[in-house]
Amino acid sequence: MGIVSYEVIYRGIFQRQLAQKISRTLVLAAVKEGKHGISFGRYSDSPERNGIPAKQFGYITDTPEELEEIAAQYEPKQVNVSICVDDTMCKGIESWAWTGLQPINEVTAVGGTLIVTSNNSAQDLVKHIHRRDTPYNISIIEGGASFAGLWVYKDDGTDARCLGAALKACPDICSMASLEAAIRENVGGDAHVDLAKASYEDARSDEVKPGEGNSEAPFTFELLGWDSMRPGVVIDGVGGHNGYGDSKDGYVPGRNEVFKKWSTRSMRPVVQFDKCTKCTLCYETVFEDRDSQYEMWNSDKDGFGKYVEDKLAKGKVENRHPITGLAGAFSGLGLEGGHNDNTFSTKSLKEL
Amino acid sequence: MTDSVYHIGTQDLPLTNRVNQIPEKAVEEYYTSGHRTCQGCESALIMRLMAKAAGPRTIILGSTGCMYVANTTYYSTPWVVPWMHTQLGSAGSAATGTAAALRALMRKGKMKEEPINVIAFCGDGGGVDMGVSSISAALMHTQYNLLIICYDNESYANTDIQISGSSPWGANTTFTPPGKKIRIMYKNWKKNIAALYAVGHTKCNYVATGDASYPADLIDKVRKGLKEPGPAFIHTFDPCPKGWDYDPFYSHKLGELAVESGLFPLWEMTNGELTYTGVSARHVYGGRSRKPVREYLETQGRFHHFIEEDYQYFQSEVEKMWTDWAMPGVIPFKLGADPSKKK
Repeated sequence: MGIVSYEVIYRGIFQRQLAQKISRTLVLAAVKEGKHGISFGRYSDSPERNGIPAKQFGYITDTPEELEEIAAQYEPKQVNVSICVDDTMCKGIESWAWTGLQPINEVTAVGGTLIVTSNNSAQDLVKHIHRRDTPYNISIIEGGASFAGLWVYKDDGTDARCLGAALKACPDICSMASLEAAIRENVGGDAHVDLAKASYEDARSDEVKPGEGNSEAPFTFELLGWDSMRPGVVIDGVGGHNGYGDSKDGYVPGRNEVFKKWSTRSMRPVVQFDKCTKCTLCYETVFEDRDSQYEMWNSDKDGFGKYVEDKLAKGKVENRHPITGLAGAFSGLGLEGGHNDNTFSTKSLKEL
Repeated sequence: MTDSVYHIGTQDLPLTNRVNQIPEKAVEEYYTSGHRTCQGCESALIMRLMAKAAGPRTIILGSTGCMYVANTTYYSTPWVVPWMHTQLGSAGSAATGTAAALRALMRKGKMKEEPINVIAFCGDGGGVDMGVSSISAALMHTQYNLLIICYDNESYANTDIQISGSSPWGANTTFTPPGKKIRIMYKNWKKNIAALYAVGHTKCNYVATGDASYPADLIDKVRKGLKEPGPAFIHTFDPCPKGWDYDPFYSHKLGELAVESGLFPLWEMTNGELTYTGVSARHVYGGRSRKPVREYLETQGRFHHFIEEDYQYFQSEVEKMWTDWAMPGVIPFKLGADPSKKK
């Protein structure tokens, strides 16, 4: 076997040390057997921001020439093992550069393995993972996402367990003895080695057949090329401009009418908790020490319903679609449907 | 008519004074959605308040840093007002050039004569380290109206937290990781940059420090900086959840703690007179005592390696700022005794 490649998909900053540890240790383990390897982060993910999906890659080869050849490419098109250390990214990821939604299994090779740390079963996760035409395997490491900070590492053994499972998924990387030595040098002591071994024994992979999974087409949009951008990469205000108009103040710049114009913090969202999944991503449900709509809804559902109805009757509630104006414009869908009818008349980017 | 006498004045922007007056006096947003900063990014809040305070007739220039990279990712941007990127060390020269160009265009009749705000922002890399010479030059050219804002998150946060001249003592950064043998790798004290510009440029009319945790104060300082004829400089203190390593929930609180502990006093120097503002005014003129700095340090992962003596040393240095300095947090020395009376 000539070349082994793998990727670690993680949440920026919060899981960065974890991803680096996994990616590096695999290379260092293989190097102990006289193989060659390199571990690196994805260029477009750097600089990372808090929580953005990011990737680390690694190559392991038998000869230095093979390594030079494969490492010359920007990033691998296919990997033998994908390790995803947060299962919420199974729905697809978009890092902070405009790349569109990438399915989590996009670069997993045919017959390759996707390893996910999750408290859910493989069956449940496959429902969210985009379907593809070729088979691959999925392997679950039981446990939640291990989050830490840029400077503080949460040493909970997730690293060792991922390493064990990765070795099981792709035995060509190295032997267990080399991995053990690398873990002792770079990760931790006996406890970590035991975890890696246990994970190696327990790891079970299920085949995901072609066509299984989420049938949605991933969200894409058209990127402008260098020849379709204006000279100097000038970006016009979305919504055009009124020139000098009747204004005495001079040139009137355009602004996207879908975006908020006034002090955003003067308004608070009113949540319909009957429809809400309580994911706690929105700030409303995690309030602890202020007047919380969630608490009001919890204690008095009828009263809260009346409160929302009153708001609606007074015309004080503005319905907004979760997709922002620009995303709609970029998707080529335009902005029809979804936004407040009174405020919207924005053109798609093409028309501009 | 030469450049030096050609004067069209500055915009008359009302001061907000109190938070509850912001909806009346500074309502429209010119920095909206479309940026990709981290959750809890105080620098983005500085940008928002700055754009809001400056209003629609403004040109904003951004030197390289988080607020350039995260705010203008591939054809998306939160800026409603005209914005242009400039190089890392050249916030000052870009601002001077833009102000001079506007003046030339107006003098030649190619543009309607009106006061247009020119704001250049830079990070602490661009304003405390690399851009010092260009900002210094900009502050010397008193015939141009411009404002330079240095948003200071105490590291090169965009490129993954390397030390800058503004990093605090003992902080964990990519360049100064604490080890088993040496715990404190970074032993410089934070550069006192706003005072440097205030003291060194005697004809500069306005220099201030600000903090997004005190929004009305910050909006007023931006407006005063734009209103005063000539160049102005504002240094802001921005907690950074990525590099300081804390839950984004605490951004606002950390900004408050830095001021309340006396680590970052808020002050403004207008036409040769320095006044402390907000909480710092109460610390200096009386009425309120400073909090210990420990709570501020303990909240952050970058000071995770501190032990008791480090906390005490940090506190003692802050105490020195307030007791030994001629002006707390501004002038780090005192007038000595008359040498002729020395034995």
